[in-house]
Amino acid sequence: MANRTYEVMYIIDPDTTADKIEKLNEAVVKLIEKEGGTLINTNEIGMKTMAYPIQKKFEGYYVLLEIEGTGQEIMELERRMRVNDMIMRYITVRVDEDRKTAAKRTEKREARTAKRASFRNAPPVAEAAEASAEA
Amino acid sequence: MAEKEMEVLNDRDMNLDEEVIGDRPRRYQRRRSRLVIPDYVDWKDIDLLRQFVPERGKIMPRRISGITAKDQRRISKAIKRARSMAMLPFVAD
Repeated sequence: MANRTYEVMYIIDPDTTADKIEKLNEAVVKLIEKEGGTLINTNEIGMKTMAYPIQKKFEGYYVLLEIEGTGQEIMELERRMRVNDMIMRYITVRVDEDRKTAAKRTEKREARTAKRASFRNAPPVAEAAEASAEA
Repeated sequence: MAEKEMEVLNDRDMNLDEEVIGDRPRRYQRRRSRLVIPDYVDWKDIDLLRQFVPERGKIMPRRISGITAKDQRRISKAIKRARSMAMLPFVAD
């Protein structure tokens, strides 16, 4: 199966101790590797004030991961996150397709601007050449 | 008969694309937004999404923001994702 890229973000209960958070993150990384996924990026955003309370808490410890894999590891990861009490919320977003279309758009726009620029620059050059030929 | 005519006129008034001046409805150009929406709308980019969330926390309608339908879909989806992760409010009062 073609490989897919996912973004996984989860919010950990703000009352968990630092070493417990570390342990949890390690466990997540281990699980992903065990299930055949590769970790591309980890970003521990840290404690953040939330826009609304979740489980009567106004803060949360945010962690963002970028994972490449088949979807198998996402299934297992989501199942475990659902069960885990420390994780208050999680979200998984598949990003590879959207990124691909975005890249295509960028490419198209750049090609268009390049073409426009070439038209804008070309005529004066031709005129200058003519002028010099006349002279 | 007179009543029917009134109705027709009212319907025309309701149509936002047409401006009634005298008898003939005149088309006017819809204003487009000057905002540049990036090719990849990141649901984590709160500063971008904030522009489309007025104080109340609702998603700004396209009729006001003036962005394309495609962009509106992408923006609204990103806002909903950000909301579920408590990065944006569902309602703010």
